[in-house]
Amino acid sequence: MSKLSTNIIIVNKLTKKFGDFDAVKGISFNVKKGEIFGILGPNGAGKTTTLETIETLQKQTSGEIIIDGVDTLTNSEHVKRIIGVQLQSAGFYPELNLIELLNLFASLYGVDISPMEMLEKVELTDKAKSFPVRLSGGQRQRFSIALTLVNTPKVIFLDEPTTGLDPQARIHLWDMISKINKQGVTVVLTTHYMEEAQKLCNRVAIMESGRIVALDTPDNLIKNLLKSGFKKKIEVKQADLEDVFINLTGRQLREE
Amino acid sequence: MSTFFFGFLFPVVFISIFGLIGNSTTVVNIGIPPTSNMQNPIYTALNKISFVKLNKSNQLALEKQLKLGKIDAIVNIIKQDNVSHYTVNVLEGNTNPQNAQIVNSVITQIVDKTNLILTGMSNNPPVNVNIKSTSVRQLRYIDFALPGMIGFSLLSTAIFGTVFGLIFLKKTLVIKRMFATPMHPLIFLTAQGTSRLIVVLIQTILILLIGVFVFKFYLPDGMITFLQLVLLSIFGLIAFLGFGYFMAGLTNDENAANPMINLVTLPQFLLSGTFFPTSSLPNWLEPIANNLPLSYFNIAVRNITTSGEPFSSTLPYLLGMFVWSMVMYVLAARTFKWE
Repeated sequence: MSKLSTNIIIVNKLTKKFGDFDAVKGISFNVKKGEIFGILGPNGAGKTTTLETIETLQKQTSGEIIIDGVDTLTNSEHVKRIIGVQLQSAGFYPELNLIELLNLFASLYGVDISPMEMLEKVELTDKAKSFPVRLSGGQRQRFSIALTLVNTPKVIFLDEPTTGLDPQARIHLWDMISKINKQGVTVVLTTHYMEEAQKLCNRVAIMESGRIVALDTPDNLIKNLLKSGFKKKIEVKQADLEDVFINLTGRQLREE
Repeated sequence: MSTFFFGFLFPVVFISIFGLIGNSTTVVNIGIPPTSNMQNPIYTALNKISFVKLNKSNQLALEKQLKLGKIDAIVNIIKQDNVSHYTVNVLEGNTNPQNAQIVNSVITQIVDKTNLILTGMSNNPPVNVNIKSTSVRQLRYIDFALPGMIGFSLLSTAIFGTVFGLIFLKKTLVIKRMFATPMHPLIFLTAQGTSRLIVVLIQTILILLIGVFVFKFYLPDGMITFLQLVLLSIFGLIAFLGFGYFMAGLTNDENAANPMINLVTLPQFLLSGTFFPTSSLPNWLEPIANNLPLSYFNIAVRNITTSGEPFSSTLPYLLGMFVWSMVMYVLAARTFKWE
């Protein structure tokens, strides 16, 4: 953990208002270089708004965001060049196949890429000539991740990358995200799934109605809860239904 | 899909219909009652005119047809007793004033000529008329309608294509995803415009080719006029795109966009001289109709085709289109929402 010392993202007193509604109420946190940082929280907690503001897709009402030493408000173009963005349900030009889409985005960044190499990273080389609508949910998410890597970013943002996927596809995507992270890319993701946060994230921030109510490593969060005298009402089982499901259906990835 | 229907199919169907309409020439129907004398030079001359159709029937039936506008006049030629003098009685209907006018001049001409012959002056009349026709070409409806069709397809592509295209890309977050890249919004709009431009060039060229080769649409200066029309289409598209961007920016909902589009396109299709000339509109409506952006385009196109005027005659109308488009681009810039 000592390597994760420099902060690649600094968020300082960030607020975002939509009319009278305060979506984000003055949050501050840092993301360390090389970590996987999770933002947890129920629907409407402000996860996506926070993410999209950092991604420069929305402008904050007040507060400051610094990515890799660059202010997102004053130099959004530079920021866009060093980040990769996956939106919750982004569409693609329906008339373009995966290779064409990768080339399109490469040209938007003004970089040269090998589309097949990009597809190899997310195990989609056999779908190179397919259109996005013909992909399964898991394949589409993997392709979205490939698109975030087009500009070899320092940070990628994944907004609920595993929502709607079956357990096999979810586990497969976790492996993929870990692999990308090990190659030195900082990952910021949002999720509803505690298991995902626990297995994947180095640190998590828990949001509730526009505020961060906790921020630490998953282990520390659990320890602190136990220290406060918390006890689970029922005894912890050695396995849960997910284990049963995976045991019966295997870890093998399915593509419908 | 809608681009295909409004941009290609409709104009082609329309010009086909108009091309066929244009082939029918004027026919004047004249009723001849049984009381009329038919052994006289006037009747013989009338009978020889190709566009005059003589309709022999009884007086009562003819009067009824005249009232219904099925015939344009009743001509009753009466021979005066004993001498070779005739009186030509013409009873005209007023359902089709233009045709009545034609009957008038045809009868007057025949009578005048017959009088000259009968008085022996036909060999050396004091006044001679010499009419030469410089144009072997007659204007047909297609010559009026085809320029309108170019405008129709232009406005359709610029508005339907742009509005529905952009709304789709906004709704599916394609645009949002692209805005996460360093791409400038203007690059995106320019690309949209360029793709419309390609479609419009194909449309204009296709309509002109069908017009020229299938329906003998007349281009006064041949290839030069052709290229001028293509150039005008580019100007037209740039003007109409402003409307497209303005409306696409107002809403994210196709259902809300539909009435807006109709509000902008329908009056223009009807009033801008696309299907019929603006001069046939009521006087109070004419100044409005003549200053719509599509009217400017239609007038400019007809100036260099039907009227055979030089390209410079289109400049005031290009300026008019420019003013309209500036208004639309400014409105679009102020109201455009990307999400």
